[in-house]
Amino acid sequence: MPGNNFSSLPDELQLATAAHVKYIQSLDTRKDEYEYWLTEHLRLNGLYWGLTALHLLGHPDALPRNETIDFVLSCQHDSGGFGAAPGHDAHMLYTVSAVQILATIDAFDELETRGKGKGLVGKFIAGLQNRESGTFAGDEWGEEDTRFLYGALNALSLLGMLHLVHVDKAVQHVAACGNFDGGYGASPGAESHAAQIWTCVAALSVAGRIDLVDTDKLGRWLSERQTPSGGLNGRPEKKEDVCYSWFVLGSLEIIGKTHWIDREALIKFILGCQDTEKGGISDRPGDAVDVWHTVFGVAGLSVLRYPGLQPVDPTYCMPKSVIRRVLGK
Amino acid sequence: MPPKGKTVAKPKEAEKPTPPSTTTTSSPTQPTTVNDRTKQRIEAINPLSAAVTRAGGISHLAPAERTLYINARFAQSPTLRAKLGTKAQRDLWRHVNEASLPVRTLLPVIPKTNIWGSDKTGRDVGTYSPEEFAARSQRRNRLTCLLVASRAFEARRERARRGVKDPVTGEVVMVAENEVDQERERRREMDALRRELYGVKTGSYAQDPEWDGVVPVELGEQEGELAAIAYPEEYAEAISYLRASMLRKEYSPRTLRLTEHVIKLNPAHYTVWLYRFSILSALNLPIPGEINWLNGIALSNLKNYQIWHHRHLLVDHYYPTIASDPAALASFAASETDFLSEILERDTKNYHVWSYRSFLVRKLGMWKMDNERERRSVEAMIEDDVRNNSAWSHRFFVVFNDPEQSTPDVAATEPDPAVPGDIIEREIQYARNKIYLAPQNQSPWNYLRGVLVKGGRKLAEVEGFVGEFVKNLGDDEKEEVRSSHALDLLAEIYAEKGDREMAATCLKRLGEKWDPIRYGYWEWRRGMLEA
Repeated sequence: MPGNNFSSLPDELQLATAAHVKYIQSLDTRKDEYEYWLTEHLRLNGLYWGLTALHLLGHPDALPRNETIDFVLSCQHDSGGFGAAPGHDAHMLYTVSAVQILATIDAFDELETRGKGKGLVGKFIAGLQNRESGTFAGDEWGEEDTRFLYGALNALSLLGMLHLVHVDKAVQHVAACGNFDGGYGASPGAESHAAQIWTCVAALSVAGRIDLVDTDKLGRWLSERQTPSGGLNGRPEKKEDVCYSWFVLGSLEIIGKTHWIDREALIKFILGCQDTEKGGISDRPGDAVDVWHTVFGVAGLSVLRYPGLQPVDPTYCMPKSVIRRVLGK
Repeated sequence: MPPKGKTVAKPKEAEKPTPPSTTTTSSPTQPTTVNDRTKQRIEAINPLSAAVTRAGGISHLAPAERTLYINARFAQSPTLRAKLGTKAQRDLWRHVNEASLPVRTLLPVIPKTNIWGSDKTGRDVGTYSPEEFAARSQRRNRLTCLLVASRAFEARRERARRGVKDPVTGEVVMVAENEVDQERERRREMDALRRELYGVKTGSYAQDPEWDGVVPVELGEQEGELAAIAYPEEYAEAISYLRASMLRKEYSPRTLRLTEHVIKLNPAHYTVWLYRFSILSALNLPIPGEINWLNGIALSNLKNYQIWHHRHLLVDHYYPTIASDPAALASFAASETDFLSEILERDTKNYHVWSYRSFLVRKLGMWKMDNERERRSVEAMIEDDVRNNSAWSHRFFVVFNDPEQSTPDVAATEPDPAVPGDIIEREIQYARNKIYLAPQNQSPWNYLRGVLVKGGRKLAEVEGFVGEFVKNLGDDEKEEVRSSHALDLLAEIYAEKGDREMAATCLKRLGEKWDPIRYGYWEWRRGMLEA
């Protein structure tokens, strides 16, 4: 392995931590932009992405804790589930983000005292499982996707309520999403895709069933995602994109194969996607930044042990210290 | 306050010649603004006040004028008069009568106050020219007339709703379609007038008589800031009506149109799609019509996944109605395939589309339908772009999940004895042909391995073929590798045959020369050979 001598890199290949922190802090103040309102249906996810990036960057207090809790709780419905923003329907994806945010800032107590309580959240999530197939829907309308299954196991394990669902059935469904090339798709028969692979592998990791993964075959497919640019793509013959620095790398880390790719080339690729002045990370060098690519770029660097970053848990995409505190491991 | 008729001095008094004055007044010129005109009118009936103002205070007035002014003040004020004795009061009235002073006048205006209000641009209406002011008044009158007519319409419709009988004709009140149209036209004009007069905009839903009675649910506190920002009003209004309709659980043609409007403005709003589906089910609307509409939306929003989930729900809903009719099933499958081909032509690797496609194949049982149209359609896509991994993946799904020639619940990575040998042969041959076209293309190599595993075949079966891409292995100068994937497979074939040395050479060369970016992987593989 080539040595990690990052301090000798030119300025543009240093992580612009201060700029990224400022960028994330500015996100909620951009209410005069049309874009802010068109993305309202992602608001709670966006908060999770921004908050996680800040924690990994070593600035856990950069967002006001009380306001964060107030906002999260204002998105909760009587059903226990959370919507993307006040007035939006409850949905698995936002409920998971809400649980992750509250776990990160150690605020489960507030959910109990000021919110509708953990129990109801667990009930909402468990209610979305199809008891026959083991799959999970995103909401009462029944769209099923391995993303939801992963989200359910993630949130329930953080809440200590995995016993509310049929974990074994869920595991069987994930196994059925496996493909001939060693990867996993969104549903049985769907093409292998790095993002879906991460949700499947991380779900199996939460369930303690990594033994079901053919790690050599999957690792081979995942390591083939690195392109000559150093970046990773999500499927064969597609363009590299910073978000796969997380989906591919997180999966490789879970199965213990991160050393199968060229780490230094990937670090250079991610750092080359930064806006070093205004902060934020984009999909590819020179493109517009957004918070989604920012968190996955930072999380990828954390897996790659870039100096100065907090270690990230590859199964939860949250700081390892948080997972230790919540799960006691 | 605007002047009111009853406080205006009687013309008779105002027109009487004013007392002689040393400080002459210039005769009033034609007023250029409303404020000018007001000032002139006030001066005309308060000659003394005007004189005081011109002179710069009471003390600067000539003695005679000063007496007149003070008398006038006393005459106008009962409070002041009460301070005078009876005789003095009598004297006062005598002086007032002799000088013909007006006792009832407009109160002088406090300078620089805006008494006419402001228009939509913030301009003081007092600065309008009299002509402009007249035009504004005319619009206000027009708006009032329209408002009265609009109220009358609403009252009439309310009577119609309650089935009230007309007292004159004795017939039940009915509101005709053209009356609604007239009302819509009326509100359009009212909206235009309000905008022009006050800068107040009425949204298109608030203008539409069809939406009367629905109180839009404005966004909460956080969203209340919307009004102040550059947030398109059209979207804000549509969303507020959407919320109101969803709370009312209203499933109607107008709410269906409302969802279409919101979807066109922001197709990523997930809630609106779910609501749309429940409206369709509640009204039992024909699904093919909806799918046809959805095609247009899908083509202009390629990256949106809500559209595909919606389609998924539609098919689940529609399927039971055609399940027992093979002709209907085949015709629906054909029209879906046509559309999928069209959209994949624009975005050949769209994940949502391909996921939907595999769902559709399973749902409608399209495996062999229409002379294996699905497989042929995917084949055509691979002909177009041999590197389209999505198409390769779908081919594997179509070929190896057909219930007539596969075992249910056998994993994709496991051998399946139910797959006929000739199919395995055909697929091996297919992959080989495509590898020749682009030897460094990952997809057919992965496919080839997948087929060999499915058929329970040994990798050695393709050794001759794989060897064609690797020449003079280990010879630094003459070594020729046309595909790193071939070298990789060759390493496995050697390992399978127990030739560790050759396998190690393949892996070493991959890490050193042919695929150094995965050096760590190839070294790990080499290490595994020892184990």
